Amino acid sequence: MSAGYYGRPIVKPPAWTDLIPTYFFAGGLAGTAATLAFAERTARNDRLARTMIFGAATGCAVSAFCLIADLKKPERFINMLRVVKPTSPMSVGVYIFSAFSGSVFIAAGCEVTGIARPAGRFFGAIAGLIGPVMSVYTAVLVGDTVMPAWHLPRKTLPGLFAATSAASAGAWGLLFASARDNGSARRLALVGGTAMVAILQALHHEIGPTQAEAYSKGEAGALARTARVLNVGGIVCAALGKNSNVISKVAGALLLAGGLTERFAVYRAGCASAKDPKYVLDSQA
Amino acid sequence: MSDFIDLTSAAAESATYGADERDRMGFFTDTTLCIGCKACEVACKEWNQLPSDGYEFTGESYDNTKELSGNTWRHVAFVEQMEPERDTGRWLMESDVCKHCTHAGCLDVCPTGAIIRTEFGTVVIQDDICNGCGYCVVACPFGVIGEKQEDHTMGKCTLCYDRLKVGEQPACAKACPTESIQYGVVDELRERAENRLQKIQEKFASAQLYLNDPNDGVGGGGSLFLLLDKPQVYGLPPNPIVPTKDLPQRWRTAGIAAAALFGAVVLCAVSRR
Repeated sequence: MSAGYYGRPIVKPPAWTDLIPTYFFAGGLAGTAATLAFAERTARNDRLARTMIFGAATGCAVSAFCLIADLKKPERFINMLRVVKPTSPMSVGVYIFSAFSGSVFIAAGCEVTGIARPAGRFFGAIAGLIGPVMSVYTAVLVGDTVMPAWHLPRKTLPGLFAATSAASAGAWGLLFASARDNGSARRLALVGGTAMVAILQALHHEIGPTQAEAYSKGEAGALARTARVLNVGGIVCAALGKNSNVISKVAGALLLAGGLTERFAVYRAGCASAKDPKYVLDSQA
Repeated sequence: MSDFIDLTSAAAESATYGADERDRMGFFTDTTLCIGCKACEVACKEWNQLPSDGYEFTGESYDNTKELSGNTWRHVAFVEQMEPERDTGRWLMESDVCKHCTHAGCLDVCPTGAIIRTEFGTVVIQDDICNGCGYCVVACPFGVIGEKQEDHTMGKCTLCYDRLKVGEQPACAKACPTESIQYGVVDELRERAENRLQKIQEKFASAQLYLNDPNDGVGGGGSLFLLLDKPQVYGLPPNPIVPTKDLPQRWRTAGIAAAALFGAVVLCAVSRR
């Protein structure tokens, strides 16, 4: 007989849809994109700043759609705002996301219309400062569950989310800014992409070989291997394409696809670690 | 860190009711008395008007209920421990239910406040507040909570909150013909469980109490169990821990990661070549 009670799960896998890992990708990108926009604005590289604040706004729009559409009672989204609960990373996250996306939309709106530019710059700075928290808080959200693959990598999961966000935001700049302006985005994509690949190794090490199977086997493993090919390809193109618009855009597209695939790999690993009771039993032995 | 956890204990939360606070009520499920009749499952479905999860033949002994879910709040597990020839062996039966944890992960993470601690120290989902975010599902160390397909909110045992309010006992305990499910004040149930264990251990050395220890990973349960084998044999986690336990450290680590991310972005922006 299989492990536990007829091999049935001990904990329940998420009742979420694929909109949730999509949100982790879009929200992570938006957060770091807003920070890069702020830094570029401060460094007077306005063209890249403009590209990045639009990236942040796009990420926020996708995020808002994913978050509300995934609710089984979307018309009750407003119930999220009836309490503030420090014990719930989702409650804390709703306020982080609200403050962040509100600031981003104002900043992007001012950029597009040319109206009230000082206000746009102010809210762009607010968004840039909240951005890293926006990119990383989702690691706390999934860590605060009983899915072993999310709960156990205490030290490395926030770093992985930060690195993936950096790679995705940098990739946005590579894809949509010209090679003349995208230097900072290229460096961010290289740093983030390399860190993502490295931290993933550290994550496997942190949780040990048995638990790491949730990340390396089945659908999660296939996604992770695909993500690595895309990311390594993207890193190589980003490093080589310094003077080429085309190679820069290829690098951006590869890293964006790699970041999204990596988010799904992490998400599926969490689900897999719930569906097979061996992960819970191993972590509680 | 233990201070953080103490903020979200059954005692601290029940105390917010002031004069309306009642004794903490719960279940003691003595599996040595269970005969697998499933009267508890039926009584629960009837009283709480819960629809069927469908009819499926699992081939897993007499268990076609499979698991607790949004609409199944009692689940009788059937464990067959037989020799290959099936001429000798034993049959373990256990009626599973929400544990109404002292430190309840579902309650901690619920972002709408739909999940509350009642004046009886039990944990209840208010279905007119729940927006179906599903966070409680992945925060329960026991896999108790599930989605109710008909209205897409999350569901679990309420310890028959409506019956408790009028001084009645929960439907499952009332229906149980062998007193395998006992309802009462948690402190008294813990004592009763200890006494029962001492008696049973004379015959069954492997007998053990489950969730009776206030110092375990969920601060003990409002539902206690007397088991005849290891918890995992019944599909229960052997060492459950409320996921919120190390939440402050998680935020700290995330803060370091966010600061590093900010620093990396700034460095990338200033290091022009």
